[in-house]
Amino acid sequence: MIDTAELVDNATGSQSRKVFWDKDVYQLELERIFSRCWLFLGHESSIPKPGDFLTTFMAEDRVILSHQADGSYKAFINSCTHRGNQVCHADSGNAKAFVCNYHGWVFGQDGALVDVPMEARCYHNNLEKSELGLKQVRVESYKGFIFGCHDPEAPPLQEYLGDFCWYLDTIWGGPDGGMELLGPPMKSLLSCNWKVPTENFVGDGYHVGWTHAAALQMIGGELAALSGNRADMPFDDLGLQFTTRHGHGFGVIDNAATAIHVNREGYQKFLEDNRGKVREELGPERERLYMGHWNSSIFPNCSFLYGTNTFKIWHPRGPHEIEVWTYTLVPRNADDETKRSIQREAIRSFGTAGTLESDDGENMSSATYVNQGRITRQGRLNSSMGVQREGPHPVYPGIVGVSFIGETSYRGFYRFWQEMLEAPDWAAVHANDDNWDEMWTNRNFWPDRMASNPDTSA
Amino acid sequence: MELHHAISSHYVMEARLLQDLQYREWFDTVIAEDIHYWMPIFEQRYVRDRRAEPTPNDAAIFNDNYEELSQRVDRLLTGQVWMEDPPSRIRYFVTNVEAYETAPDEFEVFSNVLVHRNRRQTEVYVHTLGREDKMRKTDEGFKVFSRKIIHDARVVQDKNLYFFA
Ligand code: FES
Ligand SMILES: [Fe+2]
Repeated sequence: MIDTAELVDNATGSQSRKVFWDKDVYQLELERIFSRCWLFLGHESSIPKPGDFLTTFMAEDRVILSHQADGSYKAFINSCTHRGNQVCHADSGNAKAFVCNYHGWVFGQDGALVDVPMEARCYHNNLEKSELGLKQVRVESYKGFIFGCHDPEAPPLQEYLGDFCWYLDTIWGGPDGGMELLGPPMKSLLSCNWKVPTENFVGDGYHVGWTHAAALQMIGGELAALSGNRADMPFDDLGLQFTTRHGHGFGVIDNAATAIHVNREGYQKFLEDNRGKVREELGPERERLYMGHWNSSIFPNCSFLYGTNTFKIWHPRGPHEIEVWTYTLVPRNADDETKRSIQREAIRSFGTAGTLESDDGENMSSATYVNQGRITRQGRLNSSMGVQREGPHPVYPGIVGVSFIGETSYRGFYRFWQEMLEAPDWAAVHANDDNWDEMWTNRNFWPDRMASNPDTSA
Repeated sequence: MELHHAISSHYVMEARLLQDLQYREWFDTVIAEDIHYWMPIFEQRYVRDRRAEPTPNDAAIFNDNYEELSQRVDRLLTGQVWMEDPPSRIRYFVTNVEAYETAPDEFEVFSNVLVHRNRRQTEVYVHTLGREDKMRKTDEGFKVFSRKIIHDARVVQDKNLYFFA
């Protein structure tokens, strides 16, 4: 049996290296995380009209996401209920029906089996078509972002996002009109465990100055000073880090939303034009977030950078490989020219040939593959940076860490990861709702810090 | 025939500069100041799908002007791209070169490119590309002012596409 207490030690902030390598751990993740959590499927902007569909993955399962005639969305497993052939091979399109290539069974927009060839002559009208629809997935959306879930016991999407909605409302559905996604996505394979990029996006401000030294120099501007981790920067005053009940988290660098973009005038102007409304409706604390640069992950395997505006899904392919999908986030209300410019810049920095993303690939794969060695694999991974310099905050929900360079969001991610692996069902998870954050023992960190230095609050 | 030979030789020279990691020399020798360097993203679509082909206003892996392409070269020359230290080994196989004169001293050229990358101890990556160039002949040789690169793989099987082709 898998000892989840050995896999993650919350008190010291460490994990067994097996979490990146072990096949049994991966099988348990498929069962207890990917078959139970809400997973990102697509954005409404990608399938705007009835009949529009796209194909995607939920972990290793292929699914079709389809816009229904009544304006709702349905998702179903992309595998024929006859002999299992994959039903749809297009990335996207508009279809009244999906026809299986093997023997020609026809499934409707809603996944129902509507027709089979020679039904009267060869099945003698004895086929129970109503029981042979494609297997349905629960679908819900939040501010246009559509998620799917296999577990009927899972809480509704909004409850699953939980406290994180307070943060997402700043950008996804905020006073500026919210955001949408531009595709088609780039897709590539990377030989790494899915958690390496997820943890990197959720909480790794530390690697930026070192891993991306070359690109930061090339881009110049605000973040060039991070290049090479210059020791004289006041990192505690440059941003914050957040984690929440269900593992979602992010780090923010203040006033740096567009800093990774070389050509940024249009987007910067859009943010300046809207920040007043954000301040008015959501308060100065969220205006601060609105103007900042976020590195974020939505548990388990969806990540994005707000500001740079790349949006990623890390579909697992076994414990040692992922398929990376990359979209671009853009403000819905920006003009077309600004949207195009954001898309070009986001892809130039974080696409398959990204000036920054290309730096990360080897970090991801080698942190996975070194664990092929049995002795290596017996070691542990450390994520203790900034332990105790974090806690509940009087304004920001969840747990807040003091610097964007720290590992608060790593600790929150692995805390929930362990909780999910240990829990036999969602009821067992709910039982921890009131004390999920008790591992953060420095309860007075923020009140004390704000009392001694009123400027550092928000 | 002479034209074909001149352009083929130019491509061989271009490939050698890239294989030898002479990125700045490559850029200065081959790239015109009005370059559009473009690798669109092609979705898998049904034949009956009537949507238009991608344009430079759509998602693209490369969609660079002169300045932007030059910045990509700069990044490789900082000496701080850890993935390229020690450097990877790359080979280009350029075939099926087909050139048409479209205006005096301007040419449209089609070619196939097979790119083979080795990294570290055992990593091997292979890419096949279709390339559609527009180039002009100058006193210094041929300069490309439009390059459209069609990557054949929908899902790229490599850590990145940070190479020039
Ligand atoms: S497998 Fe789909 S129709 Fe037979
Ligand atoms: Fe990175």
